Amino acid sequence: MSQDLEQPRLSPPRELFCTSCGRRVTYERGIVKFLCPNCGEQLIVRCRICRKHAHEYTCPNCGFTGP
Amino acid sequence: MSGLRDPPEDYLEGFPPVEDKDLLVPKQKYLSAGVHVGTKIRTKSMSRFIYRVRSDGLCMIDIKKTDERLRVAGKFLSRIEPKKIVAVSSRIYGFRPVRRFADYVGAVAITGRVLPGIFTNPRAPVYYEPEVVLLSDPKVDKQAHDESVKMGIPVVALVDADNELDFIDLAIPANNKGRRSLAFIFWLLTRQVLRERGDLPPDGELEEDYEAFATRIMGIR
Ligand SMILES: [Zn+2]
Ligand SMILES: [Zn+2]
Repeated sequence: MSQDLEQPRLSPPRELFCTSCGRRVTYERGIVKFLCPNCGEQLIVRCRICRKHAHEYTCPNCGFTGP
Repeated sequence: MSGLRDPPEDYLEGFPPVEDKDLLVPKQKYLSAGVHVGTKIRTKSMSRFIYRVRSDGLCMIDIKKTDERLRVAGKFLSRIEPKKIVAVSSRIYGFRPVRRFADYVGAVAITGRVLPGIFTNPRAPVYYEPEVVLLSDPKVDKQAHDESVKMGIPVVALVDADNELDFIDLAIPANNKGRRSLAFIFWLLTRQVLRERGDLPPDGELEEDYEAFATRIMGIR
């Protein structure tokens, strides 16, 4: 079926945007990306600053809010 | 529902109103393991998980949130290849819980001192490339936490009232210091991961009670 559901939707050449603040993130130390812990379908990206300050992220797909 | 059979009020002091049917286990089980009993120290970022402060100054963790996060963590970990999950405890009372969790789930357990380079140096004597790291206490498991951050590995952590949430991606609020509480949380998380994977039926139980996950006070290994 759709490969999109099997793998993170963004491959390296694509740009990443922080799920919390919307800023474009580069591959710097401290960023992270993972599929939403709840629905497993949406890629969550957290920039270093949002992660450091424990800013909440909300999954656009299922509404789960972390961390 | 209130009635003559309700326990005395102080018994449930610090416990949010919640029906047993809405929890993974009856609330009595959470209570007796002391999962909701947090530290007196409370960080700002943990306020979101604190239900109230008891008269003796201890922070009562909102067990509804603990329960909710255990469900989410169960789903999250069930989607990860088992051996790519690394569970860490540098605290003695976490040793056996983490090892039992790893045995059941097929994950890697790291207990005791974490050697530098464990996630960052392929030439280190002990080296793993986890997809998720599960920490018992980010404060105590600092080496593993720092290296996870360096490598961009998502971090799931048990967090008590005195923890910070920086660089934690999925927090499970709970008493992460008590012997029984640690055993209970890892037991429940184990059950939840196996249920989510379909290795247990949706209402299936582990063969062992949570006591089997508890570190024995004598002869720790
Ligand atoms: Zn951000
Ligand atoms: Zn989601």
